[in-house]
Order: sequence, then C-alpha cells, then structure tokens
Amino acid sequence: MNFAFIRHTRTCFLCLAVSIFSFVVVTFAERRQSPPIASRPVTFSQDIAPIVFRSCAPCHHSGEAGPFSLVTYGDVKSHARQIADVTNRRLMPPWLPSLDGLQFEEDSHLSGEQIALFEKWVADGSPQGDPSQLPPVPKFSSGWQLGKPDLVLKAAAPFSIPASGSDVYWNFIFRSPVNLSRFVKAIEIHPGDKRLVHHANLLVDRTQSARRKEKSPGSGFAGMELQIESEAFDPDGHFLFWKPGSSPIVEPPGFALRLDAGNDLVLNTHLQPSGKVESVQPSIGVYFTNEPATKFPVLLQLENDRALNIPAGENNFVVTDEFTLPGDVQLLAIYPHAHYLCRDMVALARSADGTEKTLIHIPRWNLNWQAVFRLAQPEPLARGTTIVMRYRYDNSSDNVSNPNNPPQRVHGGNRAVDEMAHLWLQVLPSDSPGDSRDPRMTLQEALSRHHIENNPADFESHYNLAAMLQARGAPLEALQHYRAALALRPGDATVENALGGALLAANRVSEAIAHLNAAASARPDYFDAHYNLGIAQGTAGNFSDAVRELTTAVKLKPDDAGAEANLGAAFAALGDNQKAILHFSRALQLDPGNTLARENLEALRGGGADRH
Amino acid sequence: MCSPNPSAFRIIRAAVFVCGLSFATVVVPGTSQSNLPESLAGTTVDALKLSEGRVVVMLFVRTDCPISNRYAPTIQRLSEKFRGRANFWLVYPDAAESAASIRLHLEEFHYAIPALRDIHHTLVNRAQATITPETAVFSESGKLVYHGRIDNWYEDFGRSRPAPTTHELEDAIRNTLDGKSTSPEHASAVGCYISDLK
Repeated sequence: MNFAFIRHTRTCFLCLAVSIFSFVVVTFAERRQSPPIASRPVTFSQDIAPIVFRSCAPCHHSGEAGPFSLVTYGDVKSHARQIADVTNRRLMPPWLPSLDGLQFEEDSHLSGEQIALFEKWVADGSPQGDPSQLPPVPKFSSGWQLGKPDLVLKAAAPFSIPASGSDVYWNFIFRSPVNLSRFVKAIEIHPGDKRLVHHANLLVDRTQSARRKEKSPGSGFAGMELQIESEAFDPDGHFLFWKPGSSPIVEPPGFALRLDAGNDLVLNTHLQPSGKVESVQPSIGVYFTNEPATKFPVLLQLENDRALNIPAGENNFVVTDEFTLPGDVQLLAIYPHAHYLCRDMVALARSADGTEKTLIHIPRWNLNWQAVFRLAQPEPLARGTTIVMRYRYDNSSDNVSNPNNPPQRVHGGNRAVDEMAHLWLQVLPSDSPGDSRDPRMTLQEALSRHHIENNPADFESHYNLAAMLQARGAPLEALQHYRAALALRPGDATVENALGGALLAANRVSEAIAHLNAAASARPDYFDAHYNLGIAQGTAGNFSDAVRELTTAVKLKPDDAGAEANLGAAFAALGDNQKAILHFSRALQLDPGNTLARENLEALRGGGADRH
Repeated sequence: MCSPNPSAFRIIRAAVFVCGLSFATVVVPGTSQSNLPESLAGTTVDALKLSEGRVVVMLFVRTDCPISNRYAPTIQRLSEKFRGRANFWLVYPDAAESAASIRLHLEEFHYAIPALRDIHHTLVNRAQATITPETAVFSESGKLVYHGRIDNWYEDFGRSRPAPTTHELEDAIRNTLDGKSTSPEHASAVGCYISDLK
C-alpha cells in the first residue's frame, strides 16, 4: 500500500512536469514564429495568395457571388485595406457560428495569424513579392460542379428584380418530368446570377400544393417562407440549400432522396436589388442513383413563434423552446432561422444528468448569411437529451436591420416585418430495440405533441399529429386532432378531406360525407376530395352520387387507376355493365395490377354475380 | 435625341454631346494640367472651375463596388431632383477602370450624370474622399461644405437598414442651395477603400 502510494505520487508529479514543459514549448514556438514575419515584408505571392485562393477566391471570381474578383495580385491589391478591415472584424469570410459550438463543414474562420498577415501586408505597402513563390492559381469551372446532371430543370420564367428597394423573396416551381419513382443522390442548385441571390432553399412538393399559389402555371409566387403540404406521413429529411460559396452536397450512401412521378421541386430564393433591374432564372441539376434509400434522416423543428410578441424598443427579448428526445439520434446538420430582429442564437444539448453542450452559437445573427451548418462529424444525442433553443431579439432602433422605423411591436409570422424563432435539426434516428414503430414517427409524434403543448392553436401540429395517429392505427385520437385543426381553420379543404377520410375509415359514413362535401365545395378542383366523396357515397349506397363524384375525379386526374376502377364499380352497382366494363378496362390500362378492376371485370365478363 | 444644356457651364471651349446619356461634357483639349481628372473622351476637365458659381456634387464610385452600385438609383434620383440647381459629377478614382468600362457601367446603371476618371486622385484629395461610394458637396464659392456618406442605409459591410433614416447628402445640397450652413460636415461612409487604389 505504502509503496503503491509513493509510485502513484511520482507518476503524477511526472505528468505535471510534462505539461509545464509542453506549455513552455508552445509559448516559445509561437514567439519563434513571429520574428520571420516581422523581419521581412509580407508578400502576396508567399503569404497572402495561399489564404486568398483558399478562403476568398471561391466566391470572389468571375460569375460567382462575390461582387469583385480576388484572384490576381492586382485584384487583391486594389482591395487590400478593405480585406484587412473586414477580416480583422470577422465580417469576411462570412461565417456565423462562433467556435464554442460543434465543428462544421466548410468552416471558413480565418486564424488570428492569417488575419495579422493581411494587416502587415497593407502596412508593408502590399508588395507582390517573388511571383515564382505563388501557389497554383485555383481553377474554377462555371458549369455543373458535380458533372453533367441526369436531369436539368430550368425555371419556366425569369423573375425580374427591381433596381432598388428592400430584399425580395421569390419562389420558383420546377415541374419534374420524372414519370416513375427515382432515388436522387444530389441536386445542384444554380440560382441564376449569384451576385443577386443570398440564399436558396429547395423543397420537394409531393402534392403539387405550391402550384395553387401561382397566378399562372410557371409564373412563380412571392413569399419569404414556404409551406408545403403533404398528404401522408412522408417527411423529407434533407436540406437542399444553396448559399454563396457552398459546394453541392452528394448524399452519403443510403441517404438518397426519393422523387416520385408528379413531384414538384420548389425553390425559395432570397434576392437583393443590385442598383439596376436584374433578372434571375434558376435551374437545378438532378443526379440519380440506383441505390435506394436505406437511411431516413428527419428534420426536427424546434420553434416558439407564439412567444414572439416583442414590444417596440425592447432590446433583449428572449425566446426559448425545449424538446426532449424520445429516442437516440445522430445529429447531422443544423439550420437556425429567424428574421431581422434576432441578434444572438444558441442551441444546446442538455443531457439527462444536467450537463450542457453548445451545439451552435451565433453571437451576431445576420439573415444575409444564413446557412445550413453540416456537422464535421455526426454528434450522438441520447434518448432523454433535451435540445434547448434560446434566441435573443433586439427590437430597438439600435438594431439597424430593424424593418420598422420607428420600431413597432412585432409578432411571429411569415412576412419580412414579422419575426421567427426556428431551429431545424437534421437527425438520423436509431431504431430502438423492442419498438417496431418507425423511429421517425416516434420522433415526429413527440415533437407534434410538444408543439401542441406549447401552442394549442398550432394548426400544423394538430394536423400532422392526426395524420400520424391515423397512419399508426389510432383513429379515435386522430379524429380529435383533425377536429382541433378544423376548429382552427374552419372550412379548410385539406383538413375537411383528411377528417372525412378518417371518418370513412372508421365507418362513420354520413359524417364523412358531410366533411368531404365541404372539402369538395371549398376547392372544386380537389381530386382527393371528389375521390373520397365518391367512395363514401358508394359505401352509403348512393351510387348515382358516387358516379358523379368519381366522374369529376377522373376528369381532374385522368391517369388515376383507382378513380377509374371505383367509377367502374359504381356503374356496375347501378347495373350499367357497359360503362362499368369501359372504366374497369381503363383502370387496367393505367395499372395492370389494379385488383379491384381485374376482379370486377372478370366477374362481369364471366357473367358471374356482382362482387359487391 | 439628346438635349444638351450648354448654359450649365460658364466656360465652353468645345462641347461634346454624348447622345443617350443626355448631358453635356466640356472638354479642355491640349491642356498641360495632367493631374486633372479626365473625361471619358480622354481630355482633362476642371470640374470645379467649370461649375464656378454653382453648387457641385461629386460622387466617388467604382464599377465593381457593390455598395456603390446599389446606390445608383438614389444617386440618379438626387441628380434629377436638383437638376439645374446643382452640378453632379460621377468620379471614378480607379486608374484600372478604362473609359470603355465606365461607359458600360453608366449605361448598365442608367446613369445620366457626367463621369470623370480621377486617376491622379486630385478630386479625391480635394474632396477628402476615402470610400466608394462617398460624396462631396462644394458651395457656389467652391468651398467643401460636406463630404462623406450619401445617407445611413449601410451600417457596415453586409449590414444595411431596410431604408435609410438620415439623408446627409440631400440635406447638405438643400442647405447649401438655401445659403445655410450644413451639419454634419462629415459622416463616415461604408464601402470600398479608395486608398487601396494607390
């Protein structure tokens, strides 16, 4: 015991000595590095070009987002003081997160030493130095960075940006010509003239819901925030994001994105007037893969827009949200989002034992440089970990970005003069042993319940929760939440249809018909509503009504085998076998595997009894 | 066609009317004052002397400065507002910017203001300009009464107000035309550094 104790002490003493020694060495090394720079002039060729080529030129070259080129000695010299200033104040390269959070890909922080080099270069008179010391000048290609895409989609019409005025938010819809389900490993976004586009977000619209916002097909539509409807629980767990200087992302193996026939891709762009009238016409390059998706990330959204009620002049208004993970996840990327009043953003992970880890900290939020921050390494977050979002807002006139002058009381909302408090996390949920449910569903259900607890008037969460409950076989609770959503948006066609569908599934046919009628009258070109109503009328024995609704459905979507088959069944029930056969045959032409049409047709042709 | 207004200038030796830009440029051929700024035709121009007895507004810009460019509609609007009362000049201090590239720039941004290439920074020094875009207002007697930002639209690089809340240039022109003193006499501008062009 005694002996062991002494040895232990000695070991410890040695450790201590080593660490002191290494400290001395580090200090010495730093001091030793300084003199060479002080004793000779800093030159472009030797010192500045390597930094500029790596950290500035990717945006600052012809055709890119940077307003002027920084490639040649002449380019850089003619902005030397400006570069020294903006790097010293860390305005450039633009990078919002501070170093106290996780490490992100494409982190463009310059080191203190690099910044000091710019300062000294200016002080030394910005000399070129020996051109033979110049590192290779980077070669930039203006075409598709990922090579020739399998599919290129171009916005149907250009959008014209006025010469002056405040920022503009415009949405372009790309109609995909893909006529069967494909997996996509990458989408490269070419936003148009990159000097004009601050950022762009691409969303998959599986139900063509955004088209309703266009005045004419292909015209696009205005709006800072984009909401996409989905008819089923089918979340897209991918960020498809473009910002100046970012490289297109190829999804890792297994992470492909599914694109189905009839899907639209909607590009939400943030544009800035340049001083002259400009025009942008984005295009996207789609890269397919034969590897189907096997990993399904989820986009989790923390938010607390309801808490945004910021008095005019208030300069320290804090909004928080906390969500406890119901299962283990790997955190892959973070997309913090607010508008012009937000000053400071923090996202933390608080473990069950109370220890906190900063995920991201943005001490000086600037909407112009918003980005999706992809983690350099996935960060495991265990079940029971609480994600904490804490945003601070400044609604005083000291905040130059304040959209109101003089300041006004500001609430949560979609317009640029409203505010937002959103934190999006891309996570890959782990399967939990003993739980057969899709872990994505478990996560989203917990999140919807959390949002409803925060804000009982949260329409989307009631609707989404209802859809998930319906899908996992909890129809009674689903009905409750559909009704809650409908109470929040009376007459909303999407909810009326979903509620009608849920009631029909629960065999409450007359109630179903009432809601489906409401959906079809609210939106007469709503295929789903007419289809469901036709089935409900048929189920109720009102076959003439069924024929009428299904005929409308077929007109709205002539390539839907289900609608044709059900229309055939309705005619068969009315005894009109000729028309029944016609529609069953059409259904089979559209989908040879349609069981309803095939069995009925066999029964009719075989002269057998009607299968009804 | 263009409608030149020769009465805007007191001394006219030869006038070149640039159609499409609807302003008159006065050329002083064969002068030996080589440090004076040049017109786009390559001849030297003494902008202050030419405008003697009138309020002069200079706007220092460069073709590749994004903040300069975003100000183009504001600059053009002000020049129209004070047309006939103050003489506006666009001053390009970058020796690397050719007359041809400046002509293209004027056309692209719909400028109808005479442009000068101040490659020796004579006007830069006279106006104490340090940034593009920056402005200088000279009184009828040629005294520098205001120099600095156009307004407070930009707070810093990448950080602008939705719209400016102070309008230093417009106030300075109006005060000077009204014979009043203007305050402030200077307000720092945000943009590209002219000293980088030396």
